[in-house]
Amino acid sequence: MVTKLKEVDAVIVGLGWTGGILAKELTQAGLKVVALERGVNRSTAEDYAVPGVRDELRFVHRHDLMQNTSRDTLTVRNNIKQEALPMRRLGSFLPGDGVGGSGVHWSGHTWRWTDNEFKIRSLYEERHGKNYIPDDMTIQDWGITYAELEPYYDKFEYTAAVSGKAGNIKGVIQPGGNVFEAPRAREYALPALKTILASQMFNDTAKNMGYHPFPRPSANASQAYTNPDGSKFGACQYCGFCQRFGCEANAKGSAHITVIPIAMASPNFELRTNAWVTKILKDPASKRVTGVLYTNLLNGEEYEQPASMVLLTAYAINNVHLMLLSGIGEPYDPVSQKGVIGKNYCYQTGVGANLFFDGRNFNPFMSAGGSNHTIDDFNANWGFDRGPHGYVGGFTIGAGFNTSLPIGNRPVPSGTPQWGTAWKAAQAKSYQTSMNIGASGSVMANRYNYFDLDPTYKNAFGQPLMRMTFDYKPNEHKMGVLAAKLVNDIAAAMNPLSFNRATSRESWTVVPYQSTHNTGGTIMGVNPKVSALNRYLQNWDYHNLFVVGANVFPHNGSYNPTGPVGALAYWTADAIKNRYMKNPGPLVQA
Amino acid sequence: MKTLIQGLVAVALVNGGAAFAQDATRGEKLFNECAACHSPDRAAKDTVGPSLHGVVGRKAGEGTEFRYSPAMKRSGITWSSDTLNSFISDPQKLVPGNRMPYSGLPEAKDRADLIAYLQATMK
Repeated sequence: MVTKLKEVDAVIVGLGWTGGILAKELTQAGLKVVALERGVNRSTAEDYAVPGVRDELRFVHRHDLMQNTSRDTLTVRNNIKQEALPMRRLGSFLPGDGVGGSGVHWSGHTWRWTDNEFKIRSLYEERHGKNYIPDDMTIQDWGITYAELEPYYDKFEYTAAVSGKAGNIKGVIQPGGNVFEAPRAREYALPALKTILASQMFNDTAKNMGYHPFPRPSANASQAYTNPDGSKFGACQYCGFCQRFGCEANAKGSAHITVIPIAMASPNFELRTNAWVTKILKDPASKRVTGVLYTNLLNGEEYEQPASMVLLTAYAINNVHLMLLSGIGEPYDPVSQKGVIGKNYCYQTGVGANLFFDGRNFNPFMSAGGSNHTIDDFNANWGFDRGPHGYVGGFTIGAGFNTSLPIGNRPVPSGTPQWGTAWKAAQAKSYQTSMNIGASGSVMANRYNYFDLDPTYKNAFGQPLMRMTFDYKPNEHKMGVLAAKLVNDIAAAMNPLSFNRATSRESWTVVPYQSTHNTGGTIMGVNPKVSALNRYLQNWDYHNLFVVGANVFPHNGSYNPTGPVGALAYWTADAIKNRYMKNPGPLVQA
Repeated sequence: MKTLIQGLVAVALVNGGAAFAQDATRGEKLFNECAACHSPDRAAKDTVGPSLHGVVGRKAGEGTEFRYSPAMKRSGITWSSDTLNSFISDPQKLVPGNRMPYSGLPEAKDRADLIAYLQATMK
């Protein structure tokens, strides 16, 4: 039996960064908001404090802050000819679970994606001609511009305590920052993080080679900080336990110490944890969704939560899954290329080289989530001509340490035996004397990379698992070859004793960990035939349904996604507050 | 709180070993270093760290409901401006193994002002 609850103004599905931002903004605008979070509530004091948080077994191997694959997971395959099998253990990506979401265990890297991404098809067609983009590459313009999003990037960066060095303020190039970034209205919220030795060495070499290195912008507070909402941050202690861990010092920009407590303090807000949403309820006749169905995980009871507005703000993959399970929009079919839900799933790619030195002590146990230095010469730099290489996209190259785990991080030179005395000797030396250079690369949408519902496997609620079909295409190989060459060139120029060479990734596999930057599936755009959402992340079919997260990206870039995810959450909140609430209906006419 | 602190501006404390005047108003600003984890208010609850209301004169590892580390409980310290000054300059040096994730406030003047502020909150 389903218990029907009292209607609220808005129901939020998933309470991480996007859900938290919307919860705060909409409760402050006077709406009655209920947030349904499938995980538990956690706090810095109870769950992320020293010494308990310094636990590689619990947080890295047992995935304490991540989604539970015994309840729900994905099936995975590389192409449509294969049979997909369930991912029984998290590997390639690590979606978070619980209040704060993946914004608890992220590293904090916060980038401003530029018009290079938002106008991707137009820009490449303009420069390289219409035939440059392969037929199966389903990239499209996003329907927004950098200039429109700039104030929202700013708002997110100041909320999340992003530390960095501006490279372009209102068109004026700033020494020491990223000279290729799009113009920003003002400096970062906080000065850049301290430069660690590995980053400094990379920086010096890259500069000598004519590149433009800069400190990576990251939501790790470089000093104590009070954000514009009054949320207080401690200074980053460079503890080395950032990615996959909650922050012990309240120094990492996280929703559980910023927007969520503000919403929680409002009488307009209610949080229900252990609440697993199974379906969005809809009324096709009125073109409105009417609420959601959820199960209380503690006792199995089912509830209907009616709402005037439904906001999907779960992890990107879960948002898409819920759309498919609820039969909203036409599921995408890669053969006919009809339908939109599940379309344009993208991942990221990358290459890396390990460098081994003599007489250097890198102290890899001391770093912030973002104490890397980076070059953007092959990404945001539109002046770099991709034409001779024949690909679309970009990659950043960076070096430094981020959560170089004391137990898990065991770099050794190629050719070292994998066990025994020689391995022990090599890793004992290399732990202190090696560093890494890595490239993070974009992945362009392809008609055969997509999500749909699995025909065989079901989750704990008897619902079909989401099926992911993904592999790297020739575009990514071409870019990977160039990225590997450049990484190896920089590595050689740093003059190590030896280095393990970077090579382009061939096929994607679900192990080991690569990145949690899954994008697409309910993409935004200007045309309802090829996108699920309009530019305000409002569903084309049901105007009181908004879907926020990296699932709205029509393709994936080189940068980490949280910058635009946070900015778009504020952008959508403004559209709802200033326009939708006054006149509920489609904000863009189809 | 504001008027109280303003009344204490530039009161030179006899103890603490500092040869300059302490500025509790400046100390209040410096308390931002601590505010993500500690509250100075009278009615404060423990958060990530223990409430610091009335910390001067308290025995280390006692006085609030906070779950102090064994290192802090064993330290035998009573918080005075001297011991606080030493602790804040390098927390792991004075109490090795304590679980406060903070590397210390290097400037003596900053520490003196911060301690003056903590004392002012008790009045």
